[in-house]
Amino acid sequence: MDRLQVLLRHVSPGNGSLPGKDSMANEIASPMSDSDVVVVHGVQTPIGRAKRGVFKDIMPDEMLSHVMAAVLKATGLPAAKLGDICVGNVLQPGAGVLMARIAQINSGIPESVPIYCVNRQCSSGLQACMNIAGGIRNGSYDIGLACGVESMSHRSVADPQSIGDISAAAFDQDATRDCLLPMGITSENVAERFGVSREKQDAFALASHHKAARATRLHLFQEEIVPMQSSGVLVEEDEGIRPNTTMETLARIPPAFKENGTTTAGNSSQLSDGAAAVLLARRGTANALGLPVLGVLRSFAVLGVPPAVMGIGPAYAIPAALKKCGLSLDDIDIFEVNEAFASQAVYCAEKLGIPPHKLNPNGGAIAIGHPLGCTGTRQVVSLLHELRRRKSRSHGVVSMCIGTGMGAAAVFEYPGH
Amino acid sequence: MSEFRTEASHGYSVQFSPFLPQRLACVACQHYGIAGSGSLFILDISTHGLKQVTRRSWGDGLFDVAWSETSERLVLTASGDGRLQLWDVTQPGPPLQVYLGHEREVYSVHWSQTRGENLVASGSWDGSAKVWDVSSSECLFTCRGHEAAVYSSMWSPHIPGCFATSSGDGTLRVWDIKNPSFARLVIPAHTSEVLSCDWCKYDEHLVLTGAVDRSVRGWDLRQARRHVFELHGHDYAIRRLKCSPFQRSVLATCSYDRSVRFWDFAQANPLVQTIEHHSEFVCGLDFNLHIQGQMADCAWDEMVRVYQPACLSPNT
Repeated sequence: MDRLQVLLRHVSPGNGSLPGKDSMANEIASPMSDSDVVVVHGVQTPIGRAKRGVFKDIMPDEMLSHVMAAVLKATGLPAAKLGDICVGNVLQPGAGVLMARIAQINSGIPESVPIYCVNRQCSSGLQACMNIAGGIRNGSYDIGLACGVESMSHRSVADPQSIGDISAAAFDQDATRDCLLPMGITSENVAERFGVSREKQDAFALASHHKAARATRLHLFQEEIVPMQSSGVLVEEDEGIRPNTTMETLARIPPAFKENGTTTAGNSSQLSDGAAAVLLARRGTANALGLPVLGVLRSFAVLGVPPAVMGIGPAYAIPAALKKCGLSLDDIDIFEVNEAFASQAVYCAEKLGIPPHKLNPNGGAIAIGHPLGCTGTRQVVSLLHELRRRKSRSHGVVSMCIGTGMGAAAVFEYPGH
Repeated sequence: MSEFRTEASHGYSVQFSPFLPQRLACVACQHYGIAGSGSLFILDISTHGLKQVTRRSWGDGLFDVAWSETSERLVLTASGDGRLQLWDVTQPGPPLQVYLGHEREVYSVHWSQTRGENLVASGSWDGSAKVWDVSSSECLFTCRGHEAAVYSSMWSPHIPGCFATSSGDGTLRVWDIKNPSFARLVIPAHTSEVLSCDWCKYDEHLVLTGAVDRSVRGWDLRQARRHVFELHGHDYAIRRLKCSPFQRSVLATCSYDRSVRFWDFAQANPLVQTIEHHSEFVCGLDFNLHIQGQMADCAWDEMVRVYQPACLSPNT
């Protein structure tokens, strides 16, 4: 409602909510509660290109312990206060539980702090945040660390052993067979079924590179990237961004998954290496410990879609998450929609009517890369830092499609200066 | 102190009559002005407190009120549907005149303060200010330039044909009706929305602004590159400020922090008094021109209050 928006703009919370409860002033000023789950801080490594890039010889536990240590150092929180750690990861055996425990200990977090991993494919990094939020909400602990990490230099989606053990019945029907489709084929399915042309996909890819290049040039990522040493070199920037990409160079790249297809290596997310970490807390605890509030979790939705067109996931998950927190699309200032493929990102943005200037303003996975388990956490970090740069009270969405047919979305609020 | 409850209506603006010392007008809205109708209350202060003289209704919220400077019976209101209404308080029923022209909520209406004119200035969320001639009911000028909602439009008490506007674009602009196409002055007053402005009654060059950034700034129009003073104290946006008609350096502010504060910018510690007698956003306040030291204010807690703050009593 427009008048309500105007009033909300006028009232950026000062040092906490207005004294006294049950007033409209309080409602409008800041619907805050000590039991809110807040993001205190978040960081990421630079994202490297898999197989041939800066982190090709770095193990995932090294990237993970780097961001774990960095986020704790930045906030000054004694690591022993962490109630739990959840790490999103897709390709490591057992979602990386052994690797994660070793990373934790190497980062200086005492062994008294527990750790586990979660795998919901491309949403694992976001799911890790939600799992920690859940632990806070159900009263199991007040502060937790959510991380995401992937080394696609060392493991591949195409590894035969990554399929695991499944029965022959998997091949009996379309729905289960479709779960085994390569992701690139699901992208071709979306492009064909919903009419997303090669040109549109390339244009979207171009925009991703330009936005990411601009953000890098303006040093916008300095707040969120913690530089990391690799083979004697200090890596400070995302490696995959190609500032000099043009429509012509993109047009020359052949289809990668299907003859005469439209999905190419140029308009798909890159295979990458990287890690990210986010510190979450119960608001009351954050206040008591003097920790800042970078963002507030407002809602989360995850749902299933047909595996053959898994890319449409965000088009369903975003409205579901908005409905849960009573916001409309217009209330959202930034949408971080993972660019698994330009085909599905374009489809989702158009279906929902997301204005281009609100979509991935600093670029996405096509330019930056998509280290599977890390991406969701990285998107949360990117979103909140960008909202903070803009200073006013605002809302943002993190969303992604999920292999085997799902979509997830979370709504965050930036409280304003 | 006297009080009046604007039943089921949330107060937006209040003004004492320029003619009758005991009379004040208050506009209030249903549902905090977000939806619903608006009401105009005419109240008299009596020995038994504040009494309602009459109440009028309008289909949309009423956001500001301005008494006529030429007739004690006439009062103007500004509404959320982009219109102004001219009411005769002695004649019940619909307004005498309705002025169309603004395309969005009208948040401010002010009757010219200098002799020889019968002009009204209005400010709207459509980004424009309009000057109206009440005798002919026409809009004389539309002043464009602001890049966001105009929240406040106030005539200079000294310079005929001159008024100031404050806006969501952070600027204070000064307009001259002899040349209304462009603002005479554009002052980037705040880096946040400026919800209110007023002229010092004793210094024709001094204009004050109150903003969402919780500060009040004073501007000397002869050299407006930098504010001449800045006042801090409120915890939330300043919704309205009014300069005292009696003391050169005294002003009152009301805020979303639910308080009313009194300031003297000539003093080293300018915040003189804080009054917290409301439980919701305080949107309106006014000095009584006839009774030195008497104030009125109104807020979203449905209360209109008339009182004498200690800091304003003549023997302090």
